[in-house]
Amino acid sequence: MAFPKELIRNFSIIAHIDHGKSTLADRLMQLTQTVAERDMEEQLLDSMDIERERGITIKSTAVRMFYTARDGKEYMLNLIDTPGHVDFTYEVSRALAACEGAVLVVDATQGIEAQTLANVYLALDNDLEIIPVINKIDLVSADPENAIREIEDIIGLPAEDAPQISAKTGLNVESVLERIVSDVPAPKGDAEAPLKALIFDSLYDNYMGALSYVRVMDGSVRQGDRIRFMHSGNEFEVTEVGIFNPRRQPVKELTAGEVGYISASIKSVAETKVGDTITLASDPAKEPLHGYKHANPMVFCGIYPADGADYGALKDALDKLILNDASISYEPETSQALGYGFRCGFLGLLHMEIAEERLEREFDLDLVTTAPSVIYRVVMLDGSVRMIDNPSNLPSPMEIQRMEEPMVNAHIMTPPEFVGSIMELCQEKRGVFIDMTYLEENRVKLAYRMPLNEIIFDFFDGLKSRSRGYASFDYELGEYEQSDLVKLDFLLNGDMCDALSTIVHRDKAYAKGRAVAEKLQEVIPRQQFEIPIQAAIGGKIIARETVRAVRKDVLAKCYGGDITRKKKLLEKQKEGKKRMRQVGTVSVPSDAFMSVLRIN
Amino acid sequence: MTGLYIHIPFCKRKCRYCDFVSFPDCGSEDLYFVALVAEMRKYAPLMKDRTFETVFIGGGTPTSMKPGRIAALMAEAKNCFDIAENAEITCEANPESATYDKLSELVSAGVGRLSLGLQSANDAELGAIGRIHSRQDFVDAVSAARRAGFTNLNADVMHGLPGQTGESYIATLRLVTELGLPHISSYSLILEEGTPLFDDVKEGRVQLPDPDDTADMEDAGFEFLAERGYRRYEVSNFAKPGFECRHNLNYWDNGEYLGIGLNSHSALRLKGEWTRFNNTDRLGEYINELGEGKLPVRDTRKIPRDEEMFETIMLGLRKTAGVPRAAFAERFGADPVEHYAPAVSELEMEGWLTVTEDSMYLTRRGMDFQNEALIKFMEQ
Repeated sequence: MAFPKELIRNFSIIAHIDHGKSTLADRLMQLTQTVAERDMEEQLLDSMDIERERGITIKSTAVRMFYTARDGKEYMLNLIDTPGHVDFTYEVSRALAACEGAVLVVDATQGIEAQTLANVYLALDNDLEIIPVINKIDLVSADPENAIREIEDIIGLPAEDAPQISAKTGLNVESVLERIVSDVPAPKGDAEAPLKALIFDSLYDNYMGALSYVRVMDGSVRQGDRIRFMHSGNEFEVTEVGIFNPRRQPVKELTAGEVGYISASIKSVAETKVGDTITLASDPAKEPLHGYKHANPMVFCGIYPADGADYGALKDALDKLILNDASISYEPETSQALGYGFRCGFLGLLHMEIAEERLEREFDLDLVTTAPSVIYRVVMLDGSVRMIDNPSNLPSPMEIQRMEEPMVNAHIMTPPEFVGSIMELCQEKRGVFIDMTYLEENRVKLAYRMPLNEIIFDFFDGLKSRSRGYASFDYELGEYEQSDLVKLDFLLNGDMCDALSTIVHRDKAYAKGRAVAEKLQEVIPRQQFEIPIQAAIGGKIIARETVRAVRKDVLAKCYGGDITRKKKLLEKQKEGKKRMRQVGTVSVPSDAFMSVLRIN
Repeated sequence: MTGLYIHIPFCKRKCRYCDFVSFPDCGSEDLYFVALVAEMRKYAPLMKDRTFETVFIGGGTPTSMKPGRIAALMAEAKNCFDIAENAEITCEANPESATYDKLSELVSAGVGRLSLGLQSANDAELGAIGRIHSRQDFVDAVSAARRAGFTNLNADVMHGLPGQTGESYIATLRLVTELGLPHISSYSLILEEGTPLFDDVKEGRVQLPDPDDTADMEDAGFEFLAERGYRRYEVSNFAKPGFECRHNLNYWDNGEYLGIGLNSHSALRLKGEWTRFNNTDRLGEYINELGEGKLPVRDTRKIPRDEEMFETIMLGLRKTAGVPRAAFAERFGADPVEHYAPAVSELEMEGWLTVTEDSMYLTRRGMDFQNEALIKFMEQ
């Protein structure tokens, strides 16, 4: 029988990196005896290596806890953990849509930070009840009064009676549970209505296939049911439903208000898209839950094995990676400089970095990545249109009538004192000012239309440094707009290096060309001949640097009988050579391709 | 042929660029001396079939030891090993410790070749690398050596030192050549991690000359030496005819040698197998293990034949005379030019290698890019 709906509380935790989200989650699980003390692994929810190291949550997870409150009743608490980065805004919004409340964790030593704000606003958009909590009050530098003031001033939430806790020591954590029970509304929804389950994440399991993590809004679902994904139209038979305890545990049935997973022998997570609605084939809901978006890759880059022999291994790794992350796209491509590799598409820059890191770490690969690019729309002289996501494929300017680039509508939330410097930044990034509104006395919303290719590089970093971390940022894809774009090429000793080509706005080309040429001059080792490095637009050279020829490459002293060292040195030099890519006559170290990406 | 190397790790003060196993003697000299003797006695029965044609006492600063020590070591070496009548016996010394008395002791102990650590004849440059002697100390040491009876003298000098210019390097070489030393080793400074100089440079306290300037310095210096009749016979070694160092030539011929002392290295053919090993680099272990009657040997490696071949190329190509084809063929039953045919022809085309009927050797340009050249042999 179903758990009484009025005793269910679905909530998530919103916190800035390092403000103690995972520690608090651990503590809640401990207090509710969801995890036996001895099983307690630090920060149980963040189970991916990279998540642990970066201290950020990439995938959403969920856990069911039971808590007997001071009113004597036993409550079912479902904690849905959300990712915390702008690349995953959509995933966060779906996870929040699965909840009725959110615990906002604020570090008593640092106050509110930018990323937190963006998620708080998402939560408010989803009509969530927000419970502010002041954490780390055990630290000497804690200033809870200031944190309370910031919550009230910046977000406009009353925080006078916010629980003041230390997730680390466990101090006062029980009061958080009490507040969840008292403040977060019980889920609405009708257990008798046709099934509507919101997918807030999905995961690939080697044995069970793709699992949908769901919040059941209406109706119920059990093993053997035939389900339909309302957006894709695909149907499957349910092989198992279950909850998170926090490990997966099968249950008989999931009903309205509950959170859990559905397994239906689905081959890939591409079939179970975040935001889609699951209903019963036999008794379908009339319409899906709103808010579904198809997540399209927006940022593309070439990924190549550092050692050409690893191409097959890279392909296998990508095949496996997308089992778990359907938002990555990839197809084979070749580069003169880098050989065989793949053109891969990602939701954003962090998404790209995480994928690269997972490929290198989980699959033990050594990769070379080219500069990220967006998809350009190229209108040819004959009126035909080509979509270009790789600068190397850009047709000759002689054949092009005009070029268009994708724009985004960017919304930046910031305290007023940073408005000036943020507007400057947006200006530098070719942003067009749309609007500025005072949301509250202490919060300004700036709206800009900006080229996507300007924000995929270092916009987020710039924003953070100019607002001391307070500004937050969100964007949605807008229209394509005509733009004066040029292809910037780099020549090494006269040979063009395709892997270094990028498409930039004409006004930026000179500065970028100079900066990259200087960087290449630093990272390309001296060789036996002088190497001119040139930046060019079309045939026109716009910047030049020179790598001087190396004069000697010989070990001066080989003596005292210790020849092992000499052999090791040669061995190292030989290995270094293997990691070099040949561009015409010039050997370029693999990491050179990546270091030019990091230019300010 | 077989060489004998004896290592004396003690120095009055460690130089800022030095990463050898050396340190000031902290009262351990007596124990170390006893251990050296024990080690030689231990090897004596194993070496009874070999004749040593060279002995090299290196350091550290061997002459920093107490009077009589080197003579005693040489006497012990002669007791333990068959040292050839005409053996080349070299001892290293630093100018400040090369007193007439010490040098006379060496001569009477049979040492016929003296290698002086000059490094530079410019007092400012000497200070910058932490040397404790002056130009004048060197001049005095050479004259003391001559009075003591040495004719076969070497000076170690360096280029690429902090503050060094082409002129000052030539001035150093001029001093050595004008004093008439028949042998000069000139090394370009190698910054080794973990040395004080490495940190100084990394943290910007000391600046080294631009590598191109150092290369110019080197080329000009080698030119200067050639004009004065010093033939470059190895990457960094120059000698008047007949004064080449036989002990070091043996290393570059990939010959046998036995190392005695802390962190010394050995290469011997044992039961037909080419074997390399070395002693511990910890003084305490060295002394204790010999005290217990054990050899303080570490890292014994049997070198496979193809590796031994490559070693022979790697070391042989350091000599301007290169790798003698007949000796190589005798040792390995294969002509090196044929065995390494692809690498050889590529390097010949490049103008880096010359092959004659008797040998193959690197050209001047090949010598400058020796590492690159060797990698070609290695890749094969």
